[in-house]
Amino acid sequence: MSQAAAQTSASFSTPTVRFSPSRVWTLAHATMTQLMRMKILPFLLVLCALVVAMGFGLSVINPEKQLGQLKSFSLGSLQIFSIVIGIVATALLLPKDLEDRTLYTILSKPVPRFDYLLGKFIGVLMLIASGLVIMDAILSLILWMQQSVLFDAAVAQLHQDKQDTPEALAQLSEIVARQGLTWNLHWAVWAIFLKASVVTAVAMIISCIASSTLFTIVITFCITLIGHGEALIRDYFFQPNLHSTAKHVASFVLAAIIPDLTQFDVVDSVTNGQIVPWNAVNDMTGIAALYLGVYLFITHLVFVEKEL
Amino acid sequence: MKRKLQALAVLLIFGVLKLPLEQHVTRDLRRMRLVDEPMNLGTGENMGQMGLAATLGGLRGLVATVFQLQAYVAFTNVDWAQVDKYYNFVNRLQPRNASYWEEASWHMAYNAASYYLYSEDLKPGLRGQLYQAYVKRGIDILTEGLKFLPDNPRLWQKLGDIHWNRSKDFKAAGDAYWNAFQNGGLNFTQRFAAYAYAQSTDPASWQKGYGILKKLYDEKKATPGLIEYLKMLEQNLHIPAAQRIPDAAPVRSTPDPQAGPLK
Repeated sequence: MSQAAAQTSASFSTPTVRFSPSRVWTLAHATMTQLMRMKILPFLLVLCALVVAMGFGLSVINPEKQLGQLKSFSLGSLQIFSIVIGIVATALLLPKDLEDRTLYTILSKPVPRFDYLLGKFIGVLMLIASGLVIMDAILSLILWMQQSVLFDAAVAQLHQDKQDTPEALAQLSEIVARQGLTWNLHWAVWAIFLKASVVTAVAMIISCIASSTLFTIVITFCITLIGHGEALIRDYFFQPNLHSTAKHVASFVLAAIIPDLTQFDVVDSVTNGQIVPWNAVNDMTGIAALYLGVYLFITHLVFVEKEL
Repeated sequence: MKRKLQALAVLLIFGVLKLPLEQHVTRDLRRMRLVDEPMNLGTGENMGQMGLAATLGGLRGLVATVFQLQAYVAFTNVDWAQVDKYYNFVNRLQPRNASYWEEASWHMAYNAASYYLYSEDLKPGLRGQLYQAYVKRGIDILTEGLKFLPDNPRLWQKLGDIHWNRSKDFKAAGDAYWNAFQNGGLNFTQRFAAYAYAQSTDPASWQKGYGILKKLYDEKKATPGLIEYLKMLEQNLHIPAAQRIPDAAPVRSTPDPQAGPLK
């Protein structure tokens, strides 16, 4: 009798389900489609139209300033867009899947929870990435057009003022070229994407712990804000003359659990015409990959035990 | 519960391990001038910068641009106090952007100063006082900007321009132009440093100016203006006739208040 029971038990034991990239891709694709239905792309198109209009409507004190303003506005909008979408989309996904009971349908099949999480995460990142690529392409086009128009206008003005010396023209050309369309602009967009990815990963952890969407959004926004001051908290922690133990512990805990988001803040430097070298791109990409790896692992540990 | 504790442990262990790595990356990015260094301006000022950094994060550029546009509106409304206030915000948000310092000082030292100088509603004494006050404000803005960007030739050049054109402090103008040239400024800043030194009242500055101009002359880089100032300095410094340049040119005896670079 006990042998028969053992045989029955063996025949019903769950087979080991391995990680499957194709399954993750299917989930990611479905997540992106789900988010697209939330009318995020029309919002993006409106944002693009506003930036385009602004590009031609900014005050003209000098061409350098106008190009800088255009970049500053556009890259700033991209940062807001990517972080808001990353936080809100991630915060909505799990509760929505629970509410629609899609989560139960998926997890009742041989789909490991990690595949589900990774699929959701990649789906959100795909949406952010496609939005950033569209905006980058439009911004590049506008910058390229504005660059030539402003350069011609500035040369004409110099000629009219009889100041068009070769030295002045060379300097003007150098300034406009530095502020115009360069590879640095794309690296700035890449840095924005990396920052949004890290924020999305943080939102994913909070979403697995939290019981409400609002809580996830508020807490992730708070962490994002503190993340922009983490470098200062860390500098404070590492300073040698810190005698107070309470301050020491508090700054350590904050610096340890919050990601440093200022590492991806190269946008201001790019707007000022600073060149982004390969080393910096590697540094930013490497640290972002590390954050993502560890945060996804932590999310998995929390989610695998979550009662659904 | 076990997995949640494991998650907490991973978060803390990773937190400890990431700190030196983050320090390293931040140091690298600061070295490449992609991320701002913390400002060393005293505790109060540092706390302000910390607050701004933490509150606005990567959006400081965007907010600065909005304030700059507000300043432009205030400029079109001829509201100089507002212009100064908005640029103060802009420069606090973007202290490493030279063009904001330059623009703020231009508004104060040229636009606001000239507005009060030619304002017929004011008594002549007050006009002059306000003119001087705004020129000084322009100089102060550039001096503050140079604390953040000490090797920026453009800011040094603009400081030289204000000293030359507005405050008529030719020694200070010479020093500023010379610093511009030393930090990679265009070639004319070297000549302008010498011209400014030549017009100062200080014999030591004349000597400096003479050294620069004579060197350029010997390198066959003389311009009509250079020859004019060189002859002025030869006369003022009592250079022996045998060492004087042979060129014929009118000798300047007084500073030319109209001379100098145009804004």
